[in-house]
Amino acid sequence: MSVSQGELSKQTSIEFSEQTRDRAREIIARYPAGRERSALLPLLHLVQAEYGHVSPAGIEFCAELLGLTRAQVAGVASFYTMFKRRPAGDWLVSVCTNTMCGVLGGDRTFETLREHLGVGHDETTPDGTITLEHAECLAACDYAPVLTVNYEFFDRVQAEQAVEIVDQLQEGKRPVPDRGARLCPLPELSLQLAGFADPRPEGIADGPAGEPTLAGARLAQRHGIAVAGFDPETPIKPKEEDSR
Amino acid sequence: MTALDTPTDEVTLTIDGVEVTAPKGALIIRVAEKLGIEIPRFCDHPLLAPVGACRQCLVDVEGQRKPITSCTTPIADGMVVRTHLTSEVARKAQQGIMEFLLINHPLDCPVCDKGGECPLQNQAMSTGAAESRFQDVKRTYPKPINLSTQVLLDRERCVQCARCTRFSEEIAGDPFIELMDRTSDEQVNVYREEMFGGEPGPAGSHSDLGSEPLRSYFSGNTIQICPVGALTSAQYRFRSRPFDLVSTPSVCEHCAAGCAQRTDHRRGKVMRRLAGDDPAVNEEWDCDKGRFGFRYVTAFDRITEPMVRDPQTGALRAAAWSEALAVAAEGLRRARDSSGGVGVLTGGRLTVEDAYAYSKFARIALRTNDVDFRARPLSTEEADFLAAAVAGRQGPTYAEVEQASAVVLAGLEPEEECPILFLRMRKAYRKRALAVHALAPFRTTGYEKLGATVLPCAPGSEATLLAGDASLAAALSQPGAVLVVGERLGGAPGGLSAAVALAERTGARLAWVPRRAGERGALEAGCLPHLLPGGRPVTEPRARAELAGAWGLEAGVLDSRPGRDTGAILAAATAGDLGALVVAGVDPADLSDARAAEQALDAVPFLVSLELRNSAVARRADVVLPVAPTVEKAGSFLTWEGRLRPFEAVLATGAMTDARILDALASQLGVQLNTRDVPAVRAELAALPATDSPRHPPPQVAPAPPPVPADGQAVLATWHQLVDLGTLQDGDDELAGTARPSVVRLGKELATRLGVGDGDPVTVGTGTGALTLPVEVVDMVDAVVWLPTNSPGATVRRSLGAAAGALVSVSVSVSVPVSASVFVSVSPGGSR
Ligand code: SF4
Ligand code: SF4
Ligand code: FES
Ligand code: FES
Repeated sequence: MSVSQGELSKQTSIEFSEQTRDRAREIIARYPAGRERSALLPLLHLVQAEYGHVSPAGIEFCAELLGLTRAQVAGVASFYTMFKRRPAGDWLVSVCTNTMCGVLGGDRTFETLREHLGVGHDETTPDGTITLEHAECLAACDYAPVLTVNYEFFDRVQAEQAVEIVDQLQEGKRPVPDRGARLCPLPELSLQLAGFADPRPEGIADGPAGEPTLAGARLAQRHGIAVAGFDPETPIKPKEEDSR
Repeated sequence: MTALDTPTDEVTLTIDGVEVTAPKGALIIRVAEKLGIEIPRFCDHPLLAPVGACRQCLVDVEGQRKPITSCTTPIADGMVVRTHLTSEVARKAQQGIMEFLLINHPLDCPVCDKGGECPLQNQAMSTGAAESRFQDVKRTYPKPINLSTQVLLDRERCVQCARCTRFSEEIAGDPFIELMDRTSDEQVNVYREEMFGGEPGPAGSHSDLGSEPLRSYFSGNTIQICPVGALTSAQYRFRSRPFDLVSTPSVCEHCAAGCAQRTDHRRGKVMRRLAGDDPAVNEEWDCDKGRFGFRYVTAFDRITEPMVRDPQTGALRAAAWSEALAVAAEGLRRARDSSGGVGVLTGGRLTVEDAYAYSKFARIALRTNDVDFRARPLSTEEADFLAAAVAGRQGPTYAEVEQASAVVLAGLEPEEECPILFLRMRKAYRKRALAVHALAPFRTTGYEKLGATVLPCAPGSEATLLAGDASLAAALSQPGAVLVVGERLGGAPGGLSAAVALAERTGARLAWVPRRAGERGALEAGCLPHLLPGGRPVTEPRARAELAGAWGLEAGVLDSRPGRDTGAILAAATAGDLGALVVAGVDPADLSDARAAEQALDAVPFLVSLELRNSAVARRADVVLPVAPTVEKAGSFLTWEGRLRPFEAVLATGAMTDARILDALASQLGVQLNTRDVPAVRAELAALPATDSPRHPPPQVAPAPPPVPADGQAVLATWHQLVDLGTLQDGDDELAGTARPSVVRLGKELATRLGVGDGDPVTVGTGTGALTLPVEVVDMVDAVVWLPTNSPGATVRRSLGAAAGALVSVSVSVSVPVSASVFVSVSPGGSR
């Protein structure tokens, strides 16, 4: 597939470092021949790692490497909210405002942070440290209300604690999340998400399920509640190979 | 049916209580259709892969907790399906989806072009609730945005069914539109840098087309399959309501693909054309040229009355039919009875019926075999090839190409030159990995989209490759292989001879694909100097006797000597050896040397032009007789397969067919032609006996050594781009805006020698003239340079007077290329 059918206004040079180019090749090599397209998500994380967001140059870079049109890359990049389309801060503060967290304090937290930081959804503070966003369910309703900083969880956070967290971040400190790995700035994290693991041992943290997570399961067990007709042993059928 | 969908197994299920047996793997929605049960749908389209994007087709399946989408679910044995007709659950589910879809839909049917033929409107009536519970503010957008100069999008009407994006990717192979963004912001769009923080383009720079415009030859189909009024064409937007239109089935006159179409008119004016449904030919698609290219008929220079040249003033003046016919007949009679005789050039755009009339008129009214339909580069080898290997033969067909074990393309870029054949091949490539081989100087985007293996081939070297390449012979030796040669192969000495020999040797079927809609028909009608109607060689006594019988002629009226071809006729005219010329729809700019052709037209003592518009021929003529365009007459075309595509008139006007005018002219010459009306011609054609005469022998021209470019020279490769300066595309700037930019393509070695890179101006020249265009460096055979034949800034035949295979000079230009602003639509006027 030609990427730019006879395009004359083609940008001449896409400025990406040699290291990024090497990494891109490494990512693409992870996928079987003919399936290179699957490398798009990690590649988008990679370009975000270099630029702090997915820029037009990043789109073109991915399109060219994978033989896609820029429209195809843009369709994917604009679907996932993890890809930022404008320069983002080092710290992405995502406040869950979905139903569970929202009623338990998330809505108030978001409003408070908005006033405190003076930025709205998907906006970055003038000092470039923090990007604020309201998020859909972060899959941690059991710890509601939650917020994440660069996707690491701060559980049962009310507005006041949230303000403390962002203050620390703006002061250059790194508050410690309640679970998971230590914080690292967004470009670094993007690189990890591109599949280049953090060498620090504390970069990987994976604990057993916490008490609030298990509480529901225990209750269900005690009262004999189960999903009707659900058999956990049901084998997962492989999807038929899709056609060309 | 492809081998893959041949039913290996059948399953039995019930739908709405009716037991039905159908092939395993079939989708519920398709099986229901066969029972006459119509499940509402938006995203589902039988020719696109299922996605389940809109959820409108929910049905209730026994044993399933929730309603499921019938357009993605294959049937299973014993399945019990209940649609909205018998299940309250399904009915309510569909109603709920409809309510969701309408939440953000503007319901502006009164001002929407789709109103009256809109699946959303219809299904909201059949399936939706009468009232919405939605109380909030609907999503709105600035209206509309351009996806291309032609395709417009009103985003708030879109139901995100992804038909348009799937068509572009799967069918056309042009994934330049995608669903962007998510949730309630989700929208179809082209790529725009602004979406990712880039600067919007400067005002007036056509930045409204985005950073990567929808450049596709098939984009009009997305408008037709959009189930709502979100996509419209700039050409038809706000021009009419569906219920005010009169629809007529029609056949496209633009190329030899022969698409079935539907032409909609209102008050005597064609408002739009749509792809017709014909599984054997174009399935449900057409190309943008065929869809949008119909305004040439109403161009300002349409000729509406006969004209004769006034002997006093030397200018053309309007005349009555009787006068014009008398003057024409008199001039032709004098020329016929003089030593020079009359030549007849019919062009490649006539219907079968009209071509037959010219063939007969030439033979019995003008008593000449000097007739040729080829208004393009040609050769004697080609004429022999057509007589021996094409005339009177049927197939291979689209279906055979789709099922072929391998297809070899020579002298043909199907996306540019026969777009529906291209779509069929692409379908075969996607569905069953059809192996395509192409002889070409470089890998075009069209070949890429077919996954073709390109055999690098400089123009002129085709014959050697066809004769000697082992991989081609191996591919074609498999049962069911097809060798497809384009009309351009005729320009390569020995190419067609080698193609016939190769097909013979390997057992492959041979197809000839001309570019124009009327070429195959003209061949069968005998518009060639050595061929009478029905593939009868002029030189065969039996062939002449058969025809003399059918035409009721005395023996000896039909001349046994082959006539002169287009080139020889024009050369004779220039040399003063021709008494008169009768010319149908021929544009001298299409001939290999446009200027020489015009000189010939200037030189011939008497010129009769049967024309639609005030063309370069009409302007030089002594008598001009206005003819009916395709839309105003009945007729037939033959597809490249040899399939007859008859059609009736869309508009009833007084305009006359060429055949009818020739009939009148013939009677002035004392000859009865019997071509007054189309049914009569059809009856006469049908009654022609099958021929017993020996076939013309195939050509045996040896490959010529390819030209050797000197320093600063290259071999010219050239073909037409689908959307270009063709006169049948006049009058539609939006269509012109979707043309591919004019560039000169050359290989890396040559680029290095010249010291040029992408975008630099390069000049290609001959003794006749020169063209300067921005360069695009591609993987090209060395010392070859490619130009579009007839695009803005690249009128090869007029400016260079050269055809493919010629030696041209190539140099770096100091001036700025003329067509650097490629997105700006090209204004017509000026050169044609
Ligand atoms: S524009 Fe039309 S075809 Fe395309 S997704 Fe929207 S509704 Fe479907
Ligand atoms: S493919 Fe040819 S016949 Fe079909 S619509 Fe296009 S120009 Fe017309
Ligand atoms: S609602 Fe906040 S994590 Fe689920
Ligand atoms: S038609 Fe079935 S989901 Fe759209």
